[in-house]
Amino acid sequence: MENIRTIEEINDKIRRGDAVVLTAEEMIELVESKGVKVAAKEVDVVTTGTFGAMCSSGAIINLGHSDPPIKIHRAWINDVEVSHPGAAVDLYIGATQMSETRPFEYGGGHVIEDLIRGKEVELRAVAYGTDCYPRTRIETTITKYDLNQFYLLNFRNCYQRYNCATNGSDEIKYTYMGKLYPRYGNATFSGSGELNPLMKDPDYETIGVGTRIFLGGAQGYVIGEGTQHDPKSGFGTIMVRGDAKKMSPEFIRGAAFTKYGTTLYVGIGIPIPILNERLAAKAALKDEEIFTDIVDYGVPRRDRPKLGKVSYKELKSGKITIKDRDVKVSPLSSIRKARVIAETLKRWIEEGTFFLTAPVERLPRDTVFKPMKQIEGPVFLRSIVRPAVTCSEDEDLEAVASKLIENSVNHIVVTGPDGKLTGIVTSWDITKAVAQGITDLRKVITRKVFTALPDETVDVASRRMAQHGISALPIVDSDGRVLGIVTSEDIAKLLGRR
Amino acid sequence: MVRVLLKFRGKTVTQPVTSQVILEQRVPINILAASIDQSGGEILAEIPDQSAQKVIESFKAKGVEVKVGELIVVDKERCVDCGACYSLCPVNAITIDEEYKVNFDGNKCLGSTCGLCVDACPFRAITLVR
Ligand code: SF4
Ligand code: SF4
Repeated sequence: MENIRTIEEINDKIRRGDAVVLTAEEMIELVESKGVKVAAKEVDVVTTGTFGAMCSSGAIINLGHSDPPIKIHRAWINDVEVSHPGAAVDLYIGATQMSETRPFEYGGGHVIEDLIRGKEVELRAVAYGTDCYPRTRIETTITKYDLNQFYLLNFRNCYQRYNCATNGSDEIKYTYMGKLYPRYGNATFSGSGELNPLMKDPDYETIGVGTRIFLGGAQGYVIGEGTQHDPKSGFGTIMVRGDAKKMSPEFIRGAAFTKYGTTLYVGIGIPIPILNERLAAKAALKDEEIFTDIVDYGVPRRDRPKLGKVSYKELKSGKITIKDRDVKVSPLSSIRKARVIAETLKRWIEEGTFFLTAPVERLPRDTVFKPMKQIEGPVFLRSIVRPAVTCSEDEDLEAVASKLIENSVNHIVVTGPDGKLTGIVTSWDITKAVAQGITDLRKVITRKVFTALPDETVDVASRRMAQHGISALPIVDSDGRVLGIVTSEDIAKLLGRR
Repeated sequence: MVRVLLKFRGKTVTQPVTSQVILEQRVPINILAASIDQSGGEILAEIPDQSAQKVIESFKAKGVEVKVGELIVVDKERCVDCGACYSLCPVNAITIDEEYKVNFDGNKCLGSTCGLCVDACPFRAITLVR
């Protein structure tokens, strides 16, 4: 397809103040009313925006040298450990690294936000000392004005689209996709759909190394594809860099997902130059044409079950259908801020303070996102389950006590006549009963029993036991029939080997 | 209707105070939600406007702490309108409008008898009034 304008021509128009710039939402309206041909002719640039949690973010800072100098070995800012990827005084603040004193509430993302706000933060560092860098400790306070460089350097941002998350398990789940009620009680999604930057140029015709973008309220750059870039599945990502000293807390915010950890909300907007009709058509892609999978985060595996497809239009309506039921769905990205970003970028271009760049290299379109190479695959409970010692409700307490001893076990699983689980008794329960003179077994049976399925992994079982402070899980089939038992000791032995 | 949060501590927890007030004042009180923990119990109730004053006085006289007004506070500086809280609300007190602004309806919110949205906010912008 022939190009109808070049980036140089667009920049000339920006200089003259007569470039025609529309936000992605406005472009959709124009294409709807006048068609792609006219829109392509009229519009020079379409602006996009997204403001969401982007965990693979961070900032590189350079402190300058202390006197005597120090070659930092480990360092903390506001009690958040920061890494020292290079020489003496360069530090990388990772967004998800958590405070040692306020974990899950304050982390690297918040440090970055505080620095951007101009707040003073506490730096603490230790070193082993060398002939050239003799100092071994330092404690000081810094603000962004004291730093030589303070650059946001995010290695995976701005997903083209993302899964819609829900939870089919029986327990509430706190995930990086937010708080998910059990039994599909709610759902969440991320990304801004028709405003999403990579969605508006899904073949990366104009996006690549060197593309100038809106980043956190300042001008930044795409420096390549992001990690886990998965263009073939429509999950492209970018790596970005921008001068954090110029950024605004309105578009960069530290955040905390309960029981998951801390992260950084990043605002990104990419201008799409409308070089030809094809780009005009793609830039006008609508929410109802952008689909994503509904994924069950109740299943803690790499390949989580997919429950169906949903469009961003449905997602943005606040309600979707899962298994024939209406389910409320939360955006996790701020669509309002995404709009503000697209509008701000539009204003910058109209005012002549933002110029477009042609990428020196386009984002790859053929890379694949491989899973981790593991020496050992996941271990399933079915491979370590052992037969459970069982009893029935009406057995004698003493008989049950001798079963414990004879089999040298600590747990007896109580079953009904159909082999289904009805409770559990531990050696501690029996000891207590004996000490208190209780003779009725029924009085000591625990009825609320946590169980596991044979095709769950040991990692999940181990987490479930730790969360509920228990030391064994009866393994049951989907009908509740007892297949055996797995104890924390079995798992500890196994994990010790790994 | 006036929404009041009734807080029961110490011996008011075990007495049928609410029923006593209903009988004495002859006012229908609509109980919206209730919760109880180690420190005591809470009832969120609605009282008809015209009898609100005397009912509140009556509860206070019986040793119950009465709170009228906002049950939840959203820090507008912190809130980014992400909507993470929206799908957690069991009574649709949280809505997202045309402009994708997130709004809380104080007349629907169950306050500290619920609190389900609080830990879903990534910016810790929601606080319950206790
Ligand atoms: S506290 Fe409960 S009722 Fe109130 S807004 Fe939050 S979820 Fe809704
Ligand atoms: S989750 Fe918090 S930040 Fe997001 S809309 Fe609700 S109150 Fe605002």
